[in-house]
Amino acid sequence: MTAVDTRPLDPAAATEVAEHLYANGWTDGLPALPATDETVERFLAETDRDPDAVVARHLALDRTVTVRDVAVHAIMAGCLPEYFPAVLTAWDALAADRAANGGGWQSTSGPAPLVIVNGPLRDRLDVNSGGGVLGPGFRANATIPRAIGLTVRNGFGIRPHGFEQATQGLPGRWTMGIAEAEEASPWEPFSVDGGLEAGEDAVSVMLLRTCEFVDNRHFTDPVQVLRDFADTIQRSGSWIFRHSCVGILMNPDHARVLAEAGMSKQDVRDWLVAHSGKTEAELAAVGKGLSRLPDGPFPPDHFHPVFADASPKSLPIIVAGSPNAAMSMVFRVFGEWSGRSFPVR
Amino acid sequence: MASTIASTIIDPTVSSSVSTKKGRMPRAARAASLAGARVGLLENTKRNAADLLDGIGEALVRDLGAAELVRKTKKQFALPLTAEVVAELSESCDVVVVGVGDCGSCSAAAVADGIALERAGIPTAVICTEAFASTSQAMAELKGDPDFPYILTEHPVANLDAGQLVDRAAHLVPDVVARLTAPASASAQSAADSALSVPV
Repeated sequence: MTAVDTRPLDPAAATEVAEHLYANGWTDGLPALPATDETVERFLAETDRDPDAVVARHLALDRTVTVRDVAVHAIMAGCLPEYFPAVLTAWDALAADRAANGGGWQSTSGPAPLVIVNGPLRDRLDVNSGGGVLGPGFRANATIPRAIGLTVRNGFGIRPHGFEQATQGLPGRWTMGIAEAEEASPWEPFSVDGGLEAGEDAVSVMLLRTCEFVDNRHFTDPVQVLRDFADTIQRSGSWIFRHSCVGILMNPDHARVLAEAGMSKQDVRDWLVAHSGKTEAELAAVGKGLSRLPDGPFPPDHFHPVFADASPKSLPIIVAGSPNAAMSMVFRVFGEWSGRSFPVR
Repeated sequence: MASTIASTIIDPTVSSSVSTKKGRMPRAARAASLAGARVGLLENTKRNAADLLDGIGEALVRDLGAAELVRKTKKQFALPLTAEVVAELSESCDVVVVGVGDCGSCSAAAVADGIALERAGIPTAVICTEAFASTSQAMAELKGDPDFPYILTEHPVANLDAGQLVDRAAHLVPDVVARLTAPASASAQSAADSALSVPV
């Protein structure tokens, strides 16, 4: 090891390797690292899983991806070996995701997986949950989702302009990895909403279509913050089906203000579900009236709620970001997510 | 030196799992006409798909002597047909029209369905929109029939009104007939060639 460390680095060889990966069409546009038998073994040593076990499947394209294959993609994405169980668990979560198992990766929507890490693993892997949580600047946050992207590209063979038909795609696609700021949250961890115990290492994944910020730092009343969230949640532009799953990446300061007003996370969900929606007339004005549905037609003042229900599956709330300014992010889930968090293994 | 480096770098597109690569897919034999044929209409729930296929199917019965229409809905439009549904369609239909592939996943899946039905002996016409030519072609190549003649129609279909749908269906009929029958004469072949479609 020391002998290698004292050897001068060879930038020309590094460039040559990077260009080799580009020339083969194996990268997502950014430089990638080469996977070798030796580095794959280092990743496989981080998990008890059988290297030949199938972790990801694409039914329509008849492709299967093994633990060993995911190691290759994680290496190329720039992951450290210790990230590997989190990457594999992200695929456990995606295996339970209806959109990812359907046409999600091929969709014109070009959805981006949001990977959420809970538990002590956040510190061990140095997954950022504070300032600039959506990136860039943190290796685990950036490379774990990128490993998913390289599996989709190289493992499933879903590439832009081929099986991938994203109309415009999404800023941050393949780099949206976060940890929840559990210590700064007044509420139970997100992974508890996903069915696990607090303190358990967990990964949750959902496919996103877009994010929009809610900048509300001068409020005098917590209900003003909730109204501001509702206004962003009920936008017509992203309204395509009867109901939507819309989540909040909630700033610790917004969470604090709501908790100090006596609200649990479920109280916040209940309020937003009751207040987010549009009337038939408002939807009809943008050509999105719902009167063609089997239970239509609807009178102009009929209120259509955004959410089907007040579950964490319909309205996931994750606390993250810096409290240096009370800004949160509202995000749109592509279709629906599994509603489940997965234990890291 | 470069080749030595390259040889130790793992190709990430080759899975360590067992390959399921199949040989070239066979296509179904065709009759010379649709007279007496049971025509399956496999609509994929996309807006206007059922109405467009209905318009085409009704013309096949009215003008070309097809015996009956067998309407079926494919609810999971992003996924390939199950073996059971392929078997059911090949029992109940003599030919099938599939559509409309007008999204990233359902266009590719429609082509996969067409190739699967052809393999089961059912002549199939697959309708996708022009916007999804590349992904339709990618699926044809993946499924072992790179020249599979899916039909491309102008995009979009989803926002056509009733009158426009009638026109579109009428426009597509000659192309659908060409896909479902054996070329009978030079004039029929030239009509098929002039239609908006991928060359066979």
